[in-house]
Amino acid sequence: FQAPAYHLILEGILILWIIRLLFSKTYKLQERSDLTLKEKEELIEEWQPEPLVPPVPKDHPALNYNIVSGPPTHIITVNGKECINFASFNFLGLLDNEKVKSAAQASLKKYGVGTCGPRGFYGTFDVHLELEERLAKFMRTEEAIIYSYGFATIASAIPAYSKRGDIVFVDEAACFAIQKGLQASRSNIKLFKHNDMADLERLLKEQETEDQKNPRKARVTRRFIVVEGLYMNTGDICPLPELIKLKYKYKVRIFLEESLSFGVLGEHGRGITEHFGINIDDIDLISANMENSLASIGGFCCGRSFIIDHQRLSGQGYCFSASLPPLLAAAAIEALNIMEDNPDIFRTLRAKCEHIHKALQGISGLKVVGESFSPALHLQLEESCGSRENDVKLLKRVVDYCMNSGVALTQACYLEKEEKCLPPPSIRVVITVEQTEQELDKAASLLKEAAQSVLN
Amino acid sequence: VNHIVHNGGLYKRPFNEAFEETPMLVAVLTYVGYGVLTLFGYLRDFMRQWKIEKCQNATEREEQKDFVPLYQDFENFYNRNLYMRIRDSWNRPICSVPGAKVDMMERVSHDYNWTFTYTGRVIKDIINMGSYNYLGFAQNAGACQEAAAKVLSQYGAGVCSTRQEMGNLDKHEELEKLVARFLGVESAMAYGMGFATNSMNIPALVGKGCLILSDELNHASLVLGARLSGATIRIFKHNNMQSLEKLLKDAIVHGQPRTRRPWKKILILVEGIYSMEGSIVRLPEVIALKKKYKSYLYLDEAHSIGALGPSGRGVVEYFGLNPEDVDVMMGTFTKSFGAAGGYIGGKKELIDYLRTYSHSAVYATSMSPPVVEQIITSVKCIMGEDGTTIGRARVQQLAENTRYFRRRLKEMGFIIYGNEDSPVVPLMLYMPAKIGAFGREMLKRNIGVVVVGFPATPIIESRARFCLSAAHTKEMLDTALKEINEVGDLLQLKYSRRRLVPLLDRPFDETTYEETED
Repeated sequence: FQAPAYHLILEGILILWIIRLLFSKTYKLQERSDLTLKEKEELIEEWQPEPLVPPVPKDHPALNYNIVSGPPTHIITVNGKECINFASFNFLGLLDNEKVKSAAQASLKKYGVGTCGPRGFYGTFDVHLELEERLAKFMRTEEAIIYSYGFATIASAIPAYSKRGDIVFVDEAACFAIQKGLQASRSNIKLFKHNDMADLERLLKEQETEDQKNPRKARVTRRFIVVEGLYMNTGDICPLPELIKLKYKYKVRIFLEESLSFGVLGEHGRGITEHFGINIDDIDLISANMENSLASIGGFCCGRSFIIDHQRLSGQGYCFSASLPPLLAAAAIEALNIMEDNPDIFRTLRAKCEHIHKALQGISGLKVVGESFSPALHLQLEESCGSRENDVKLLKRVVDYCMNSGVALTQACYLEKEEKCLPPPSIRVVITVEQTEQELDKAASLLKEAAQSVLN
Repeated sequence: VNHIVHNGGLYKRPFNEAFEETPMLVAVLTYVGYGVLTLFGYLRDFMRQWKIEKCQNATEREEQKDFVPLYQDFENFYNRNLYMRIRDSWNRPICSVPGAKVDMMERVSHDYNWTFTYTGRVIKDIINMGSYNYLGFAQNAGACQEAAAKVLSQYGAGVCSTRQEMGNLDKHEELEKLVARFLGVESAMAYGMGFATNSMNIPALVGKGCLILSDELNHASLVLGARLSGATIRIFKHNNMQSLEKLLKDAIVHGQPRTRRPWKKILILVEGIYSMEGSIVRLPEVIALKKKYKSYLYLDEAHSIGALGPSGRGVVEYFGLNPEDVDVMMGTFTKSFGAAGGYIGGKKELIDYLRTYSHSAVYATSMSPPVVEQIITSVKCIMGEDGTTIGRARVQQLAENTRYFRRRLKEMGFIIYGNEDSPVVPLMLYMPAKIGAFGREMLKRNIGVVVVGFPATPIIESRARFCLSAAHTKEMLDTALKEINEVGDLLQLKYSRRRLVPLLDRPFDETTYEETED
């Protein structure tokens, strides 16, 4: 059996080549600059970093917080003055409800304060499981999952499903937590004008034509629409029925953020799906925080098990963080009980919202921004003075005037450099069921006075 | 040999850290184990696809079947076929205070862990070696609980507003002053969630044009915060000071990639105690490097605050260093203080800046008042300001428990990672089947342990992790050690071969250490 000559020669060359590679020096990319050791040391000496943080001027408006002594309930003591609270999101007045407090006390006596661990490592208490069941039953979905921090709820939920390469269509007025969730997900973000369904449809159509060019990629690119039930930054609601139509037409999933509409809209307080009479299974994921109507801490997501169960292993704020303290979970359960037993508080709240919405019309210099049934309204300047800084100062004077006369208000705070679409400066007015008609009228007349004296 | 490590005189106490190498046979068998599991996984998936086996996964809605699938099949392969088999080791529901002994709700599964049902029985008095209860403040009676109850009845459970709007209570101001005093820094700020403290404040401190040098094994919150900030991230080998120095030198000499502009600032992210390894950061060397190269240090003391140091003030006190050398001292209240939340301490300019620009102060609800009160009471107890010596005694008890437990486990022949003084004790299991077996056998003997596998650890280095507590008495530790010994013999976990090689000066890339013997 003789191999042909060229075979042997080829093999011989290959073996010699391998031997050469084995014994030659490893190939290093030449150092970018042939600096001597001395030059390197000089560079290290000369380099001066910026200070860790730039100095903040002492009179920066965000530096001096209002100090609230005592509980932030209906009558609140701010900076030493007693005022009626028009600034805390305590919509259903459950913050100082005796039943809620005693449920929390019972839980405190049984479990102590902290859970000392994440959900996976002995941090799952029977209270958490009960709260998840109750929330799922209340919202009429299959499953619910609880987070220990309201901000982290939607900021962990979005990156669990949407990854690099996926497409998310989000409203311009989305809150900061949604923006951070989108940033963490590294997906393609497409902003559509606030509540403008025509703009959204245009973007969806554009995406469709893109898909036809590359159908293989389109088959694995997930698409999502992220909207809020009741927008925090503008006080209006999203047109959910049209969104559902767009969902089925363009095959996009909907994530709904209901922090402000949970416990406010709908006949039984189930949120915007009940308000519009939409089947809850049409929404893929509903996320809300428990820090507004439920007057507790934390947040939850609810939906079908197919979707929610995924977050138990890939929701960052769920897996890598300690679970919700049991006393706060017990307070939330009791608050849910109260919501279920008294369904007419929602109607009362909405009536009060209509009342003050009407009363605040016609203030010279300030315009009301928000739906008539929204419990969180904004008062913006009708005409800006030119710069945002001056607008903020002017509104602060209005707020101070009201605080000195016994109505606690606050300006809506934003991180100016970080927001994608910065809303104009405004005063936040929050309506709760505990406010009486006289108090609402007093607040409205006080604001009229303040606007008169400060803005004219 | 108790050695003072090189860099002469930086360490005032011996630094004994060891990560014994994985024995070759064990590594091979572990890979074989995963290989077998993967093969079976493919087989089961095949059977499920062809309807030979019932598919118990939740499925998409009928109306949405033509949407782009939400999960890729392969993403969930590990979940369906490996994690599901031993799923009962995690998410165990408890129904009592998470102290040294805990009551667990019994769960059974009739379909191999796809669904669980609760039998209604409660397993009582399981020795709890899994909860982060280092100083034993997880109590439902005593001074802390009574104070929290009083504040709860006065203030209520929630706050319903953000710090910058109407959520800044007098309790928060009190807490922050106390924490600043406890740590020995000028000023401090507290947040409602430890995870969010990292992910929302690192972006406020650094941005584009800055460099972050992060340890290999940093926690997910630090990694998320670094990513959200937009800065360039470079990773140095775990606790390896030469790797860090090389990165620092290169960064300053070469500047930003492509444009060659100098970096605006350099931030080093390290943790006090790494919770999966049980190792303690080499803080004296890190501070020396930071000073030499003019960078800033962010120290995450989630596990080390309260657990290290003669008076519980963390890893800075443990090494006898000055807290002012650490630019940003971050920590959490979940572990040693039995509450929830996180804090950042540092110079007044830093905290003023964070009060103005931190994402959490502007958009997130502030801390719940009873939780704040629990922290205030427990910090005062640790400092001794409540008039008792309970705090001091607990810190000492924890140190004793740590030393005793680690020594006994090493004597038995297990491979234990980490520093001698860290209350986090990882015991190596390696093989996937032993992960499930260890958890279940220990539960049968009434001891609750935490087992961790991939993806929290490298694939072949799965481990069981014990978290010691000042609330554990010597009897509880002895019982636990006896049972661990039994289970170790049953499952053949005593891998240690304790090679007696003296510690040499480490060459550049070495990251494994041999343990030395007296």
